[in-house]
Amino acid sequence: MGAFYCSICGKTDFSGKGHIHGKSHQSKLKVILVKFMDKVKEARRTIKNPQVEKYSPHHDVKFWCYCCALEVQKHVTDSNITVLYGGLLEHMSTPEHRKNTHKFCWDNKADLKLRDKFITTEEETERFKSEVSKALEQFEEKEDVFIKQQAAVIRSQEQHRLEVLQSLSEPDPELLQPAELDHYSNKPTARSSHSRSYEMEAQPGPSHEDHEASHCHRSEPGFGLTFIGYQNSSSCGNVHTGAVPPWLLEEPDEGPQEMGPSIQEFLKHKEQEKLKKLPPNRVGANFDHSSHTDANWLPSFGRVWNSGRRWQSRNQFREEEAKTRGKRKWKDDGKATKKQKGLSNGEL
Amino acid sequence: MSFFLPKLSCKKDIDDAIKTVAEKVLVLRFGRDADSVCLQLDEILSKTAHDLSNMASVYLVDVETAPLYTRYFDISFIPSTVFFFNGQHMKVDYGSPDHTKFVGSFKTKQDFMDLIEVIYRGAMRGKLIVRSPIDPRNVPKYELLYHDI
Repeated sequence: MGAFYCSICGKTDFSGKGHIHGKSHQSKLKVILVKFMDKVKEARRTIKNPQVEKYSPHHDVKFWCYCCALEVQKHVTDSNITVLYGGLLEHMSTPEHRKNTHKFCWDNKADLKLRDKFITTEEETERFKSEVSKALEQFEEKEDVFIKQQAAVIRSQEQHRLEVLQSLSEPDPELLQPAELDHYSNKPTARSSHSRSYEMEAQPGPSHEDHEASHCHRSEPGFGLTFIGYQNSSSCGNVHTGAVPPWLLEEPDEGPQEMGPSIQEFLKHKEQEKLKKLPPNRVGANFDHSSHTDANWLPSFGRVWNSGRRWQSRNQFREEEAKTRGKRKWKDDGKATKKQKGLSNGEL
Repeated sequence: MSFFLPKLSCKKDIDDAIKTVAEKVLVLRFGRDADSVCLQLDEILSKTAHDLSNMASVYLVDVETAPLYTRYFDISFIPSTVFFFNGQHMKVDYGSPDHTKFVGSFKTKQDFMDLIEVIYRGAMRGKLIVRSPIDPRNVPKYELLYHDI
């Protein structure tokens, strides 16, 4: 026969139309039909109950119609709202598509029942259109209600702000005017933005708070803030005039000072670093080397004939000293010994 | 060449030495400069003092000049060497009856250096009593008498 490109298999065949009955062709055909069937089913569900939604970018998808070998818009949209699967249904109702579908099924020996599914009859189309119009009306009603609600919210916010301004004790016409201008400029922008998209529900909330904060820098006890006076910085300047920041100004009472530690402190620090490296549980780690002790201080010493704690050695020694002092004094018969100081209470 | 070891002649000097020597073993030799055994010991001490300068400081004390400490440390024989670390008295078990001091002289310089090293290591680990590395045969023998007898 001749060269023949089968679009389903994606192969050029030389055996003519005979390959259509082959296994691979039929299996590929089945797969295609199943896929297409799913899409069509979805679309058919919406005939009785069309869904109308706000426009969103993913409504612009196209789908490939196998029968007509073209790409068709899936949904119908006028850049404000979309009717889901409208495009698909519309395409399926066209007479060209009907012809193509017949041809397709005849050529590829597809099931006749399926063919009917792929075409929408005129009745179905009529029904779909009426349902769509109803749905559109409902949708528009809902949108109107929503807009009105938003408007009410904005109005109440405005009222609130005006009340706040009026309740201030200090009359300040300078403040009121820019505030009112702000209000008026915000209202039309808010309304237009609403008509554009309905996803800005988050915005009215925070913008409400922002405005509150900016207008509340003047305050009164009723709002829990204390007024500390109008700060006049025209003498020293502020960041806008380019004045020197306070933390860079020279202190009047501090002269040129040396920064950092002196040599002595540095050496001491070095010594301390060395000490830190020593094991912390060494003997006498907490011994205070610079403590001043009086003349009868005795070091911690465990004496030979004392098997108790070391302070007991010390006490024993002091007692012995006291005894020998006493004996000597007795012997010397009143001669004053200069070591009477040893008769302390033995406490350091 | 022998280095002259510093001498302490009064209680206050000894107190100062005990308090100020930090992170090193303080060696106090109690004796008399003219005594023969003391001279032997002093020679060993002075020859090793420089090598042990990072671990120990050595001082000589004449027992006549510090009778209070002579009594406090129960020094009955000379020379007697007492060891301190950071103001704490270090006891050493030499195999002899008295652990609080080393009585007599050392046989060799190495004995003394080993002893100092053992005391230093023990002190760094927090031990107040250590075991002497010196062979007991090289440790001078003496009789410890209770002073009332």
